[in-house]
Amino acid sequence: MHSVDVLRRVPPWIISTLVALLVWQLVATVGPAAESSIPTASEAVLALVRMLGEGATWLAVWETIQMAGLGFIIAVLIAIPVGVLIGLSSFAFRSTKFTFDFFKVIPPIVIIPITILVFGPSLQMGIFLVVFAIVFALAIQTAYGVRDVDPVLLETMRCYRQGVLRQIWYARLPSAGPFIAVGIRIAAAAALIVAVVAGLIGGAPGLGRELLLTQAGGQSDQTFAIVLLLGILGVLVSRGIGWAQRRVIFWTAS
Amino acid sequence: MTIEISIRNVCMEFPGADGVKHVLDNISYDVQEHHFVSIVGPSGVGKTTLLRLLTGLMPPTSGEIHVSGQRISGPPKGLAVVLQDYTRSLMPWLTVEKNIALTLRKQKLGRANMRERIESSLEEVGLAGTGKSYPWQLSGGMQQRASIARALATRPDILVMDEPFASVDAQTRFDLEDLVLKVRDDFGITTVMVTHDIDEAVYLSDEIVVLHGKPAQVRDVVTVDIPFPRSQMATRNNPHFAELRTHVYAMVRGLE
Repeated sequence: MHSVDVLRRVPPWIISTLVALLVWQLVATVGPAAESSIPTASEAVLALVRMLGEGATWLAVWETIQMAGLGFIIAVLIAIPVGVLIGLSSFAFRSTKFTFDFFKVIPPIVIIPITILVFGPSLQMGIFLVVFAIVFALAIQTAYGVRDVDPVLLETMRCYRQGVLRQIWYARLPSAGPFIAVGIRIAAAAALIVAVVAGLIGGAPGLGRELLLTQAGGQSDQTFAIVLLLGILGVLVSRGIGWAQRRVIFWTAS
Repeated sequence: MTIEISIRNVCMEFPGADGVKHVLDNISYDVQEHHFVSIVGPSGVGKTTLLRLLTGLMPPTSGEIHVSGQRISGPPKGLAVVLQDYTRSLMPWLTVEKNIALTLRKQKLGRANMRERIESSLEEVGLAGTGKSYPWQLSGGMQQRASIARALATRPDILVMDEPFASVDAQTRFDLEDLVLKVRDDFGITTVMVTHDIDEAVYLSDEIVVLHGKPAQVRDVVTVDIPFPRSQMATRNNPHFAELRTHVYAMVRGLE
């Protein structure tokens, strides 16, 4: 077999990852960052391997996932029903849109001081921040989706004398599916980021706080190892959501 | 003959930014039971508006519409619709048979009867065995057959179609035209169709209502006295077919 053929069988993401690590290694050894405190790629990867052998790392991963996950679930459970209700009424949509847009653009960071006062640097604080960060955008997105239903479809249902509840269940909700899916994709990524920020800035438990501690302790190889770990988590979450999405709203692919 | 749909002095106005738009002016017409009636007229004349009034989706500004002797105030019982845009009127998240089942709920059929009703309707339109497919897995012509099957499954008295064959290719169009004629014969359904295609109107109809003017009035009602059963080749070669289509065409164009 030709070496070119072998190369073609390697998934592209492996090649780009190796290239990125190589560039990193060069930048940190012979390149512009050689004299800085930035660790080389190999140091960071080794630190990561070492840390994966420690229970504390897995605990931090679990705490972060818990924070992001619970916050995400709570936000979804609030945002989707609220979004559906808002979307069903033109009056509700117009009157809430301003308020929700207002809250949507407030960065969660600015309310960290308040949340620390209320919850302390805890899991609850992180969960609250995650919910706050994603619930408004997701609700608006859901409301948009519910309003996006094709009027032809609704009229067809009316001609066949289908009641309002059935119109909502069989037409409006599935129509909103693709909108909600986009919202959920963005929300899941944001949940992870905010869960890390909650630790990094607010001292909530998890990988964010580990980032802060290793940085303060001058263990920059471990800091970068955590960054790598977060990257991997992010990819897994995004893949998982994409997988679920293709199954739940299967009709949009064609 | 019994009158199935009676349109009495119907006017329709829409409020707009630049004043009230007067679309339909004093339309009166009776559709006989089991008849196939086409509504034709120039683009934008108000054909679809009249059709929407017939389905009870909106009330006329003045005048009355009676279906089976009852004045309608919403979509009447026993009405089925087939619209031009099948991709928008079938639900992509439900299989063909579930799309059909959805409209049957009011009839309280029971499981076995429901199954039977769905399968026989699919068979009637030549879609036997495709019930488990999703609409988007089927061709355009098959999707429109599926909407016809959905309409038939409700065992309607009246079938209302808005340019049902405008989005399919010419060959499929002929097939579907013959299909709706067969369906009309098999079930004795009263059919009202809006179309742009004058040949199609002549080929399918017992009567053609020509709308014209702004606001639209009934310009003429043309009786198509070509005997049934009709066939794509023989009927369309009939000299009387040519006369009728020329006559209707001239009226739609305002030449007569």
